[in-house]
Amino acid sequence: MTRFFLSAVVGVAVGLLIGLFLGWQISPVEYRNSPIKALSEAYKDEYTRLVAGGYLADGDLSGAVERLRVLGVPNIPQYVQDMAERYISNSRDLKDIRYLVALSEGLGRLTPLMENFRQYSRPPQTTPTPQGTPNA
Amino acid sequence: MRDLPPPRPTSMPEAPAFPRDSRYRQPRRWVSWWGLLLGLVIGVGGGLFYAWNLAPVVETDTLPRQLNDDSKRSYTVAIALDYRFTSDLNMAIQRLSELYPDRDPIQEMAVVACDLARSGYIDNSSGLRAVQTLKTFYQLQGRTGCADTLIPDAQVGPLEVTVVVPTATHTPPPPPSKTPTPFVQPSDTPAGVVIVPTTRPRRAYEGRIVDTYCDTELTGMIEVFVQDYNGQGIAGEPIRVRWEGGQSDFISGLKTERGAAYADFQMTAGIGYVVEMPGFSDPLPNSLVADSCFTESGAQAIKSFRVVFTPTG
Repeated sequence: MTRFFLSAVVGVAVGLLIGLFLGWQISPVEYRNSPIKALSEAYKDEYTRLVAGGYLADGDLSGAVERLRVLGVPNIPQYVQDMAERYISNSRDLKDIRYLVALSEGLGRLTPLMENFRQYSRPPQTTPTPQGTPNA
Repeated sequence: MRDLPPPRPTSMPEAPAFPRDSRYRQPRRWVSWWGLLLGLVIGVGGGLFYAWNLAPVVETDTLPRQLNDDSKRSYTVAIALDYRFTSDLNMAIQRLSELYPDRDPIQEMAVVACDLARSGYIDNSSGLRAVQTLKTFYQLQGRTGCADTLIPDAQVGPLEVTVVVPTATHTPPPPPSKTPTPFVQPSDTPAGVVIVPTTRPRRAYEGRIVDTYCDTELTGMIEVFVQDYNGQGIAGEPIRVRWEGGQSDFISGLKTERGAAYADFQMTAGIGYVVEMPGFSDPLPNSLVADSCFTESGAQAIKSFRVVFTPTG
């Protein structure tokens, strides 16, 4: 009986290792209904770049902020600024940098590092000229 | 002579206790194969249960095709809007194919446009423009969808459609006829404004005026704070200020020195303003009128307001 139990214990241990290896490495859980905030960093960057392109297309700053909100970042202007500066520092695609700089500028975050990458003028806003002025 | 029993042998032949081929005679193995097999089955099952259910691989590298439907819609909208600026069709379709690898990606865009057109997404002008962009994209590629009929082609304005009857019209008296008719006085149709509200928007926030003050340095200000349930500021929230003949959109958190919740707006004396979070709140019930006021020292300034938006519910 002792021999049986010892063998079972050894079997459980080996089996656990095999099971964990299968479950974590060979055939891990693949999620099918993930939120956009779970995207890999590369795709989060791409999504943000797409939103920046959309902002240049329609000049809708509120819409752009709304679209970025789904990423779950706590401070969207800061997030865009960080990403634009990271793209500049990493010498990423020049066109992408200019898109992000334009969006960052629209969000009031034009830093000295971005100055040389301003190409697209701030798109016209979709709202009429105010009689008062937001100080943001 | 009595027969004597035969003498006992000096040594008895050793009789085996068990047959020679008995398993009890074989040397014992150190392992029980049945025990090991049972342990393996339990172990593999337990390991898989733990790895798949209790501690699955942390989800950090999700691909677009793994997104849920809402997120795929957001991604599709971003692709269409970006295409509107870049006109790079190949790149747009490649990105759509990453979202919908086993389906017609352009037709999927039509499906997304249809879903959004049936939802509250088009309750604001941003959403409406986005769906129109989707529609243009798939129509140019020869696809059709329910948004074709649900969404008008023309650009549609914001939440309220204001129809202004521009001038008073003058109705002349009818021309003279042979039959004498009573004299008809010309009548004036008064000019007017007809406001046709569209679908009521979602309401995630409600706003209220928490304070007013009179200060010569901060004169005529609307200070807006967007906070969560715990009173923490939320940056990036859209705020709209409307007045007769105009409006301005801005977002919270741009003045970092005032915190994530903060945004402000400079009023012009004598004008009334309505503050709201477009798509997220009703307008404040009372308009904020930039009236004159006097400080404690007797200096004249314009009244300022503090408005706080907090989540509903």
